[in-house]
Amino acid sequence: MSYKYYWEDFAPGQVRETGGHSLSEDEIIEFARKYDPQPFHIDRDKAKQSAFGGLIASGWQTAGLCMRMLCDLYLLESASMGSPGVDEVRWVKPVRPGDTLRLKSTVLETRASASRPDMGTVRSRSEVYNQHGELVMRMSGVGMFRRRSPGT
Amino acid sequence: MAIKYYWEDFTPGWVIETPTRTLSEQDIVRFAREYDPQIFHTDAEAARATPFGGLIASGWQTCGITMRLMCDGYLLETSCVGSPGLEELRWLKPVRPGDTLRLRSTVLESTPSGKQPNRGTVLFRWDTLNQNDEIVLSMRGRQLFLRRAPAPPEQDSPKA
Repeated sequence: MSYKYYWEDFAPGQVRETGGHSLSEDEIIEFARKYDPQPFHIDRDKAKQSAFGGLIASGWQTAGLCMRMLCDLYLLESASMGSPGVDEVRWVKPVRPGDTLRLKSTVLETRASASRPDMGTVRSRSEVYNQHGELVMRMSGVGMFRRRSPGT
Repeated sequence: MAIKYYWEDFTPGWVIETPTRTLSEQDIVRFAREYDPQIFHTDAEAARATPFGGLIASGWQTCGITMRLMCDGYLLETSCVGSPGLEELRWLKPVRPGDTLRLRSTVLESTPSGKQPNRGTVLFRWDTLNQNDEIVLSMRGRQLFLRRAPAPPEQDSPKA
């Protein structure tokens, strides 16, 4: 199988952006019932009385949607080998039913692997914005990618 | 549900281990189709040819399961009012179909809110372990909790 993007195709400063991805109240409640059943994620009435003043999406669902947008943006067409982790996850603003999210992904740094000549890592920043252009979530993560040609 | 734990109850060194949850192949594929459709998460056959040697759960699903373990273990009995974020998140080992996970939460640091006298922040370490006691996910992050009793006003602040 050949891919569109290998490690060599990522360079610091590259910016990729998605179109919008909407989230319904039903989707918020369905996700939260399974993974994060706090009252302000699953119960409209209790959420109204909470500090958030209404139902909000689990931050993990926003992270999941961010991942989905990354997949659709380039990851599924890339020689991805997974990720060791992310840093500085910030849930900056609540995501509410009907919000439309989009992703801006910026490459920060690329590194050849010292131990594996066939792969390299790419550090990138993901920023998720709502339909008002407000930042709702950001994080900085590392992805591992196969190289087009092995390093020496 | 009655609140059992407030901000004051989370002091450094507080540690709790939750009951377990087991993840099926169907759970893994269903989550991944929606949120992380990379082939090593969605296609057991194709996953065999990848470096992972078989189907593995999306790391974000492991985060979700960790959150659920936390909710069922103790969080729904707390005054938690959300989280500003995580400092660090590491997927240390793949999670595979049939794995049974549990969460160990440890309080690292506790800080009263500077702005809101009825709240405080707690920095946790969250380790998710599998049935072989291997840590599969390790995170450091903060959560906000309401206080049992508001912070006393500072000495030098004028009385209303």
